[in-house]
Amino acid sequence: MRLRTFLFVTGLVICIVSFGFAVSDASAGPSQAKEAAIVSSAPSQIDDSGCLACHNKEGFSVELDSGETLSLNINTDAFEQSTHGSNNVTCVTCHSDISSFPHPERTTETLRDVKLKYYTSCQQCHAEQFTQTLDSVHQKSLAAGNNNAAVCADCHNPHTQQKITDGTGNLLPAARLHIPETCAKCHGAIYDTYKESVHGKALTEEENADVPTCIDCHGVHNIQDPTTATFRNSTPYLCAKCHTDAAIMQKYGLSTEVLNTYVADFHGTTVVLFDKTFPDQPTNKPVCTDCHGFHDVARGDDPEKGLSVRGNLLARCQQCHPDATANFPDSWLSHYIPSPEKYPMVYYINLFYKFFIPAVLGPMAILVVMDFSRMMINRFRKPKPVVAEKPAVKAKKSKPADEESGHD
Amino acid sequence: MSGKRANPSQPARFAQEKSFLRFTLGQRWEHAILLLSGLVLLLTGLPQKYREFSLSQDLLSTPERVDLIRQIHHIAAIILALEVLYHIVRIIVLMARRKLPADLLPNWQDLRDAGQMLQYLLFMRKDKPKFGRYNFEQKVTYWFVFFSIAIMGISGFIIWFPVKFTQFLPGGVVPAAKLAHSTESVVLAIFIIIWHVYHVHIERMNLSMFTGRLSEDEMHEFHEKEYDRLTGQTGGKK
Repeated sequence: MRLRTFLFVTGLVICIVSFGFAVSDASAGPSQAKEAAIVSSAPSQIDDSGCLACHNKEGFSVELDSGETLSLNINTDAFEQSTHGSNNVTCVTCHSDISSFPHPERTTETLRDVKLKYYTSCQQCHAEQFTQTLDSVHQKSLAAGNNNAAVCADCHNPHTQQKITDGTGNLLPAARLHIPETCAKCHGAIYDTYKESVHGKALTEEENADVPTCIDCHGVHNIQDPTTATFRNSTPYLCAKCHTDAAIMQKYGLSTEVLNTYVADFHGTTVVLFDKTFPDQPTNKPVCTDCHGFHDVARGDDPEKGLSVRGNLLARCQQCHPDATANFPDSWLSHYIPSPEKYPMVYYINLFYKFFIPAVLGPMAILVVMDFSRMMINRFRKPKPVVAEKPAVKAKKSKPADEESGHD
Repeated sequence: MSGKRANPSQPARFAQEKSFLRFTLGQRWEHAILLLSGLVLLLTGLPQKYREFSLSQDLLSTPERVDLIRQIHHIAAIILALEVLYHIVRIIVLMARRKLPADLLPNWQDLRDAGQMLQYLLFMRKDKPKFGRYNFEQKVTYWFVFFSIAIMGISGFIIWFPVKFTQFLPGGVVPAAKLAHSTESVVLAIFIIIWHVYHVHIERMNLSMFTGRLSEDEMHEFHEKEYDRLTGQTGGKK
């Protein structure tokens, strides 16, 4: 008995302790693996100081075959302060083809070639992001032969890139402010439009972190073609991400019912339906951006573009309904929920039916049920005076006689 | 039910079963067109109203199908509109010739009948009231359908041609028409199912709208005053 208790207690302790180890091991696992990945990704022991002995010389450069000048100078301070420099990523981590001096013969002919040659080395450490870019519109364009399509280093200069995310992968607020500038390096005209929009102005002039930057709508690494029907059909949900978020919208006094009201009205019903069934089919029904614009989206009361200015709204309607006249814009509820003040006709018709349906159809249903019950009761009661079931019919037949007495 | 009622007691009458003309061929055609076009309108309208259901989404999954189902809806609407037009023109012509019977017009007797019917259903009376050519239930059916079609016809054309109508009407009529159209359709559908279907199929099988005729028995039992008027009798059946 005692031995058994002892064995049991010992077994239990072993179980608990080993379970504890297992758990702590498991939780420690990923971070260790990550560190290991960073360390092991450095293929050799070549120290940066060897490289920088030459490459920190100001004005150190080479002329490429194309005639362009490739700067070979690395600003040591900037590199050391960059996320790579401060995380012990060395030169040869990325420039893995160069491990000795003299360097192997250069095969790149243009500045662009240099960038395209090295961008794949990012995947050593940033496999997730790199894989996402493979599906992006930029990569597709590159594959189609457009060498100017953006690769990693076009947005993130590997020698100076600062840390832009917090520990959990969320973008730091300061980093958000500069995203449009990054995209503007190629998409300058769009940036100029965006800067003037209600979103862009708030970001660039007020450093407002609530407004969307490029990547909030287009995505970051897996940027999709925004001209497809799929992208267009999903627009309402894209805008709704922020515009149905009460925490953000109440700061600006904006309604969070914009999606509901859109879906409930003519255009939205259809678009949402297509988005659910076959998201890739084009529809001629407008989505948010067709009326509000996208890069140039303006405040509702903006005199030139705002849709609460009647003339502007009518002009939008006329894009699809060319014969629309001044009254026409009111046939769209403008995201309002009908009330006695806004769209009273709709409000009162709704109210009418709320009472009419129970008040009229309800009693009708009750009458029908009563009628049916009385009919059934009659059918089973009437046979009483006579014997069999058949004469029941006969009993009913004698009704006219009864009726006379029943009447005045 | 009504058919059975005739035979066991008076088998002799079976052979010489008398029947009365209740609906002319024209009226029966009108009803048939109303029934068919109404059914098509309902079946093509419901998926448009209840788009969140997966069945509707299967039906309306492509722009082509949405267009097709709306075209069918519009064609049925035109047929029904023509039928309504014919109906109204006929009424006007008959009225002009002083030949329109007033049988279908609601009157105080209908209220009294309804009151008596209620008493009967509450077991406060032994018998149903005696009715004329159309009882109050049938009049309710006609006028309910009449006004429902008026509401849906007008609102339907407004939402079909919003640009045209807003040239002389305020824009707010369009969403109002949309709401009225879709709500009234469901009201009418429920009405037909609980009221009309009950009275002509469950309470008794009344196919006079298709056969055109009502047997003497039925006429006597359900429309005694009319029976008396037609046979020139007063009081009960012989």
